[in-house]
Amino acid sequence: MSVEITFVEQFQEILQNGKEQIILLNFYAPWAAPCKQMNQVFDQFAKDTKNAVFLKIEAEKFSDIAESFDVNAVPLFVLIHGAKVLARISGANPQKLKAAIDEYIQPLISQISSTNASVETQVNSVQTTNTTSNTSKAPNGLDSELNERLSTLTNAHNVMLFLKGTPSEPACGFSRKLVGLLREQNVQYGFFNILADDSVRQGLKVFSDWPTFPQLYIKGEFVGGLDIVSEMIENGELQEMLPN
Amino acid sequence: MVNAQQLELLIQNTLEPTHIEIQDMSGGCGQNFEVIIVSPLFEGKSTLARHRLVNHKLQEVIKDIHAFTQKCYSPAQWEALQAK
Repeated sequence: MSVEITFVEQFQEILQNGKEQIILLNFYAPWAAPCKQMNQVFDQFAKDTKNAVFLKIEAEKFSDIAESFDVNAVPLFVLIHGAKVLARISGANPQKLKAAIDEYIQPLISQISSTNASVETQVNSVQTTNTTSNTSKAPNGLDSELNERLSTLTNAHNVMLFLKGTPSEPACGFSRKLVGLLREQNVQYGFFNILADDSVRQGLKVFSDWPTFPQLYIKGEFVGGLDIVSEMIENGELQEMLPN
Repeated sequence: MVNAQQLELLIQNTLEPTHIEIQDMSGGCGQNFEVIIVSPLFEGKSTLARHRLVNHKLQEVIKDIHAFTQKCYSPAQWEALQAK
């Protein structure tokens, strides 16, 4: 099961006591939609994975811990063993996180139980593991892993906004205007800052067959950009599409 | 370079319009157009589907325009709008 860090000393104590264990850190922000989705994924992985410690750390609340792990964007997952960082997985990508768990946690456990070699050697050998991946294409031409990821992201909330920046700090005029419109309409939505992840930014243009941002999705379906959503509000179309 | 006449001709040839209004917002350099298009092709289509249709039909000129703003109405909607 995963553990929510509630005070700094708790974190330090777990690290101290868990030197022989693999620990997976999840740095998140409670207001960020990708983090909410990934926290659910993380909790599920925690249930499914034995012999590892899963910790959830609110990055802004525990900024000293976050700083010591160079957290620049959330969600960020850091896999550690003793004093060593085994892997860093950035962004809302369940497949990547699962791959890291499979690569580092399961093999390391089995190696520890099957040999008497030093921990140092085992960690090094694990670190050099080479992952071979099979790349296949989704019908829209996107890499199937990226397509699956985009499908997950666009369904993270009933209403999802992909914008430049965040609702409180939009990075372009169009994103700011659309945030304003949604606020006026009292629309509840999740969001994703495309400036934080260029593969999402480029992938969504194909996924939606729409070249510009912001992009609004309802129940995983692309609805439109600023011009279209504005028009839909005028003609009542948006209100009809919104879940109650 | 795109001019209003080219744009109108292409709309006429591809979108079966019953009414077109084109404004060149760029002061004549053909970089920023606002258009109103009324066509039976838009009947029963969502706002997004209408925009997709127009973007597809006009893509050979839209790609050369810096800013393109459109409003699409079915003839019935346009009549209702004019009656206000």
